Amino acid sequence: MTLDRRKLADHAAGWGFAAPAVVLIGVFGLVPVVWSFALSFQHTDLTSPGTFAGGENYAKLVADPLFWDAARRTLVYVALFVPVTLALALPIAVMLNQRIRGVVLYRLAVSVPLVTSTVATGIMFSWLANPQFGLVNAALDAVGLPKQGFFSDPGQALFAVVAMTVWGWLGFAVIIYLAALQNVPRDLLEASSLDGCGRARSFWHVELPLVSPATGFLLVWLTINGLQLFDAVYVTTKGGPLRATTVLVYHLYNEAFVSFDGGYAAAIGCAVFVLIAAFTLLQLRFNRRSHYEVR
Amino acid sequence: MAHGRGLSRRTVLTMGAALVMTAACGTGSGGDGKVKVWHGYTDKEAAAFDKLAARWNTTHPDQQVELVFNGGNDNALQKTLASFASGNPPEVAYQYGSSITGLTGRPQTQDLTDLLRGDAAFGWDDLFPAGREAATVDGKIYGVPALVDNLSLVYNKKLFDEAEIAHPTESWTWDDFRSAARKLSGDGRFGWAYVNDGTEDTVWRFLALLWQAGGDLLAADGKKAAFDSDAGLQAMRLLRDMAVTDKSVYLDAGDQQYLNLFNSGRVAMLWTGPWDLGSINEDVSYGVQILPGRVTHATIAGPDTFVVFGDNGRTKALPFLKWLLSAEIHLEFAMETGHLPIRQSEVDLSGYAEFEAKYPGTKVFVDNLAKNVTKSRPNIPQYPKISQVLGTAVQSVLLGQAEPEAALAQSRGEVDQALAGS
Repeated sequence: MTLDRRKLADHAAGWGFAAPAVVLIGVFGLVPVVWSFALSFQHTDLTSPGTFAGGENYAKLVADPLFWDAARRTLVYVALFVPVTLALALPIAVMLNQRIRGVVLYRLAVSVPLVTSTVATGIMFSWLANPQFGLVNAALDAVGLPKQGFFSDPGQALFAVVAMTVWGWLGFAVIIYLAALQNVPRDLLEASSLDGCGRARSFWHVELPLVSPATGFLLVWLTINGLQLFDAVYVTTKGGPLRATTVLVYHLYNEAFVSFDGGYAAAIGCAVFVLIAAFTLLQLRFNRRSHYEVR
Repeated sequence: MAHGRGLSRRTVLTMGAALVMTAACGTGSGGDGKVKVWHGYTDKEAAAFDKLAARWNTTHPDQQVELVFNGGNDNALQKTLASFASGNPPEVAYQYGSSITGLTGRPQTQDLTDLLRGDAAFGWDDLFPAGREAATVDGKIYGVPALVDNLSLVYNKKLFDEAEIAHPTESWTWDDFRSAARKLSGDGRFGWAYVNDGTEDTVWRFLALLWQAGGDLLAADGKKAAFDSDAGLQAMRLLRDMAVTDKSVYLDAGDQQYLNLFNSGRVAMLWTGPWDLGSINEDVSYGVQILPGRVTHATIAGPDTFVVFGDNGRTKALPFLKWLLSAEIHLEFAMETGHLPIRQSEVDLSGYAEFEAKYPGTKVFVDNLAKNVTKSRPNIPQYPKISQVLGTAVQSVLLGQAEPEAALAQSRGEVDQALAGS
C-alpha cells in the first residue's frame, strides 16, 4: 500500500516536473497543429469566422501549379542543402579535432554563423552577391570569370540560397560532429593503429561508423529545417525573382498573409507536415539499421 | 508610400520591435483608457509625432492617445489583422494605401463618412484628392490620410554636368529620358534604378509609365484588365529597351540599395518620393524634376492612411486625427519631417514659405499633387492579386525573360480571372 502510494507520488512529481514543458509544447506546438488541420477544411480569411469547405482546399492544392512548383523547388533545395552541409561539416570537424595551435580560435570562427541572425546573414549575402557591385563578382572578374546574377538571376537564386543557408548551418553541424568525434574512445583508435590502420583507414572504419548517430541526427534535423525554409528567402529574394525561390512555406506565407486565404494556406501547411513526417520516419528507420553502439 | 525607406535599418528595427510588439499586445487595450495608434515612424518622424501626441494629451484628458510603434509599416496589414484575431486591436493603424481593402470588410473597421464629410470645420474636401481617394472604398470613408507622396525624377547634377547632358526639364520625353540614361551608363554606373522585386514597389512605377502613355490599369467598369493596350506595350517596351537593350538600369533586387548607389554616384537618376530626399548625402548635389512624359507627365501618389477601428476609435481617436490633420498642426509636423502638405489650405498658410525654404526639393512633389496626380490605383479587394500578377510581368520583362507582348497577354488573362473570381 505504501509502495503504491509512493509510486503514485513519484508519478505526480514526475508529471509536475514535466508539466511546464508539456504545457508549453501543447499550447504552442500541438494546439496550432490541430487548429491548422481544422482550418484546412474551411474557407477563412483568418479573422472572421470561416465556412466549411470540405475537401475544396485540398482539391485546389492538387490542381495548383504554383504548389507543385514550390514543392519541386523545396525538394531540390533539401537535396542540395543537407548533403552539402554534411559533406563540408565532417572534414572541418575532423580538422578541428586535432591538437593544433589556436584550435579554440578556429572552433570559435566556425561557430560564428551559428549565432548570426538570418536577417544579418541575408543582408550580408545580398551585398556580397550583388550582381553589379558585390565582392564575389569583383573577385570573379579579377580572375577573368564572367560575372553572375546570384539572387537576381532566376536560374541561380535557389542555389544562392543553398550557399547562404549552408554557411548559416555549417557551424551547428560542425559542433555536433565535433562532439561525436570527441566521444570516440581513444582506445579504439589506438587499437586500430596497433592493428596497422593508417590515419585514413582508421577514420573510415572506426570514426565514421561511430559518428553515424550524429550523421543520423543531422540528417533528420537539417531535412526538417530545409523543408521549412522561409526566413532566408524572405530576407533575400522574397520568393523571386520570378518565383524562383518560392519554396513551400513561402508559398504558404503568400497565401495566408498576402492573399489571406487561410484555409488553403493551412492545407499547404498540412502537406508540408505530412512531407516532414514521412521523411523523418524514413530516415529514423534507416538510421536504426546503420547505427553502431559503443558498449 | 514608404516603399523606399532604407530596408536594412527597417528590417533590423522590425525584428527588434517584434519583441516590443509582443509586449505591447500583451498589455491589453483600454486598461488605462488610452486609445492606441499604431504607426511605423522612426527617428525624426517619431519624435515629431510623439511631441504632438503629448501636446494633445495635456489638453484632452478624456481622449488620451498612446502611440505604439508597429515595428515597420511593411507588414502593418498583417499585424492589424492578427490583432483582430486576438480580439485586441488598436483604435487606429497606419496602413499603406493599397492595404485598405484588406480591412474594409471587417466589423472592427469604422465607416467614418458622416463624421468626416459632415464636419465643416475639419474640411474633408480641402485634403488633397489622392489622400481622400485612398481612404475611400465604394464611396465610404474608413480613415484619414496619413501621408501623401508621389514620384518625381531625382537626378545627380554633377553626373549630368560631367557627361555634358542638359538637366531634365518639365518637357522631357521618354526618348530624352532613355537617351540620357544610356549616356550616363557604363563604367560601373547606371542611368536609372528600378526596384525589381516584383512587389507593389515594382508595380507602381510601371503604373506611372502606363498612365503617361495614356493607358489605364482596368476598364472603366473595373471588371476587365485594360493594360494590355498600345499604351501598356509602349511602357513595357521602354522598360525592356532600357534594361535589356541599353543596360542602363540598375535592377534593385529589393534590398533597396539604389539610394546608397545614388549617393556613391553609381546611379544617376531615380524615380522616387520625398521620403528619400532626407537620406541623400549632403555632398551629392541633386535636382528634382517631374517625371518624363509620353502623352502626359502623370505620376502616381503613394498615399498612406490612418484606418480607424471600434467605437473608441470613432469617439476618442478620430478627434485626435482631425486635429493632427488641421492645417497649422500638420504644417508643424511637415516642418520637422519633410512630409508633404496634406491639404490645400496648408499650402496657403503664411508659414508655408518657410517649409519650402527648408525643403527645396519638395516643391516639385507638391506641384505634382495638383497637376500630375491624375489617376490612382483602384481600391478593390482584388488589387493585391493584380499587383502580384503585374509585378511578375514587369519583372520578367526587365530580366529579359519575356517579351512585352507575351508578358502583357499572360498577365491580362490572370487579372481578368482574378476580377471574375469574386
